[in-house]
Amino acid sequence: MADRRMSNRAMFWRIIRRLFGANPGRLFVMLLALGAGAAVTAALLNLQVDARRRLTTEFRAFGPNVLIIPKGSSAASSETLPGSTIHLVPVNLPDGRVTVSSTLYVVAGVSVPQSGKSLPVVVAGTNPLAFVRVSVFSSTSEANLNRPAPSMGEVCVAGARVAKQLGAEPDTELVLASGPRRESCRVAGFHQTGGPEDDRVAIGLRTAQRLADLPNRISAIELIVPGTPGEIQSYLEDLQRQLPDVHVRPVRQFTEGEARIYNRISGLLTATVGIVLLLTALCVMAAMTNVAMERRMDVGLMKAIGGSMRRVLRLFLAEAALLGLAGGILGGALGIFLSIGLGKAVFGVAARPRLIVYPVAVALTVVVAIVSAFPLRRLASIRPASVFRGEA
Amino acid sequence: MFLRIVADSFGRRPRHKLLTGAALALGMGLATAALSVSLDVGDRLAKEFRSLGANLIVTPQADSLPLEIGGVDYRPVNAGAYLPEADLPKLKTIFWHNNIVAFAPVLEARGEALPFRREDGEDSPGNWINDVPLIGTWAYHAVPLPDGGEFQTGIAKTNPWWQINGRWFSDDARECVVGTAFARKNHIRIGDSVSLAAGDVTKIPSPLKVTAILSSGGPEEESIVVPISLAQSLAAKPGQYRKLYVSALTKPEDAFAKRDPKTFTPKEYDTWFCTPYISSIAFQIQQELPGTDVRVIRRVAEGEGAILTRVRMLLWLVTGAALLAAALAVGASSAASVIERRTEIGLMKALGAGSGTVGFLLAAEQLLLAFVGGGAGYALGIVLARLVGERVFGVAPQPSLIVFFVIIALAAGVTILGSAFPLRRASRYEPAPILRGE
Repeated sequence: MADRRMSNRAMFWRIIRRLFGANPGRLFVMLLALGAGAAVTAALLNLQVDARRRLTTEFRAFGPNVLIIPKGSSAASSETLPGSTIHLVPVNLPDGRVTVSSTLYVVAGVSVPQSGKSLPVVVAGTNPLAFVRVSVFSSTSEANLNRPAPSMGEVCVAGARVAKQLGAEPDTELVLASGPRRESCRVAGFHQTGGPEDDRVAIGLRTAQRLADLPNRISAIELIVPGTPGEIQSYLEDLQRQLPDVHVRPVRQFTEGEARIYNRISGLLTATVGIVLLLTALCVMAAMTNVAMERRMDVGLMKAIGGSMRRVLRLFLAEAALLGLAGGILGGALGIFLSIGLGKAVFGVAARPRLIVYPVAVALTVVVAIVSAFPLRRLASIRPASVFRGEA
Repeated sequence: MFLRIVADSFGRRPRHKLLTGAALALGMGLATAALSVSLDVGDRLAKEFRSLGANLIVTPQADSLPLEIGGVDYRPVNAGAYLPEADLPKLKTIFWHNNIVAFAPVLEARGEALPFRREDGEDSPGNWINDVPLIGTWAYHAVPLPDGGEFQTGIAKTNPWWQINGRWFSDDARECVVGTAFARKNHIRIGDSVSLAAGDVTKIPSPLKVTAILSSGGPEEESIVVPISLAQSLAAKPGQYRKLYVSALTKPEDAFAKRDPKTFTPKEYDTWFCTPYISSIAFQIQQELPGTDVRVIRRVAEGEGAILTRVRMLLWLVTGAALLAAALAVGASSAASVIERRTEIGLMKALGAGSGTVGFLLAAEQLLLAFVGGGAGYALGIVLARLVGERVFGVAPQPSLIVFFVIIALAAGVTILGSAFPLRRASRYEPAPILRGE
């Protein structure tokens, strides 16, 4: 009995081998269809997983999304925080680093010694100063905050409107005065944001602390937290629990808008990727059915020499599964490489290959291959004699 | 005879033709859905981005510098310039007036507040609170338009992240909305009322009813939001405002839009003016409201531009993949349907038909199938696109005629291409071996 099963199995594999070897052209067509399907599937799945992550990075273009301010005020005001608070903020997240900057606001008289113009202006002492986004606002303001100052002086970034009202040019010396205290700095660049920053002068934190006579105090900490809206929310809650003496609040304009837009985009992406996957399956099935229909003769022969329909079907399903596996393995790998390129085209950064995508793409291909072999069931009704007579 | 053969081919194997047609319709339907959704998505997403609020801010040109820290202006009330509220309907007369989604003028003031607790139908006064920040604005305001219509706008639209627990005040009623932090500190609830005064008062002004508690996550939570006319009378600046927030639908800025408009040739200038770039909208507002400084809120506008561009690219890529897959699927199934008819082709050729006649006949048949299948697929795809659009955006995309023609053309092209290859092979066959069944 066991012997018969053994020889049966040997025969089974022998037939499978022959099925593959009999018609290399047909084999190539099937592999091509399955491989192309697997490649598209893997590329899109990988791109989708990556695009979600990448989108959250893109959203960081909106700037700080979390603020830490003294308790009891919903705005940064005259109250201050100890400067050491910044060291208590966890900066390493699974999705990347949190960018942290601390600021002290001082109202100071800002004047230009050459022209004698003077104005009360909000001076924002920021650490690190490079955190201040410098945008080009006149052709000569190619700012370089890292450039060593020619006269070892302090460097500052003037808001566009401040600069306009003071008539400040790049490298103009500004004198900041608050009470009896005086500091001076050299304009390294301008920034125009359309926000309150346009009306401020940004300077190093230490200088602002000296100017305000508030050593080691800050008004606010701004954070740029990466991640999905949900991750940012849980980060916020953790942070508030860790720092009970301060008020941690999201910049709701951006966190809320972001959550909305993120959900829309990722929903859209899921829908379109779903559509493409369906189409790919359809495409593979059309190609496979096509090939299966050409097998009428084979089926007729097998039935004529006594093969039961179940065994014949098992044979073809095994063939389809093997083909699906081969096509999936080849196509999936190709697709992942493809998505790296596509990611580069869309986001400017190569998509990171996700290993989970690979087995999923292979499994999907095998399933599609098996499902598309099912039209062979229609061959069950074939009468061998009529096949051999050349009738349909 | 030609028509008879075609009709016969459809009539003889209706199930088979139905199956090929269904595959075609399904493929084209999915392609239609992908195409309609991505055609529509730019506008739809641009609207979504308006949930980030205003992207333009208008301030008086002659204004002194605001001493703003954390959203609170520490400037003396009398310092600085103001703008006339009466000019605002002009915003809806600019070239891109349809792209202006919302705008709201703001006048900030400071004053004293006297809360009245409502208990058992009686109002019992509390204590005066000094130096309360007041924000005068429009909540929902109907702006009369020059062409006779009305435009509903206000802070609820420019700052959609402001959450209101209750209802917004009406602009002409003595009502107000209280920030949540202020309300908590002073134990004010909805239904209470507040009297507001500025400077020396001899008698208590008639109180404002609190219609809602505002939570915004910002400094507004410490203040009282009132109709702008009230803030104007408290600040003694009748009919004036200080800041105007404008929310406009824009096209993401490209390299062209980033150039200085002064360097444009007249033709480039026209292109720039007639494209809804944020800079050209800002320029047009500035022309319409003299004496103003219109600034782009870069944080909102630039982030939006970057994300929109990327998402659009991503979707076109995916749509391209969808169209390709649909083309392959349809091409493969039409190839299959030709291969199956080898015997028939052989017979026709044996009876004296040339390769051209046979090809023409089959092509006509395939085209008929493509038109029917493509049409059905288009209908199916529109339904699918509606489902996707409604699920994702809550709004269905408009069916577009362009998509219809693209889909029909694609279906026709792909079926012809798909059948051309096996037809060519078939035309080389000798009829005799085929008829013998080899």
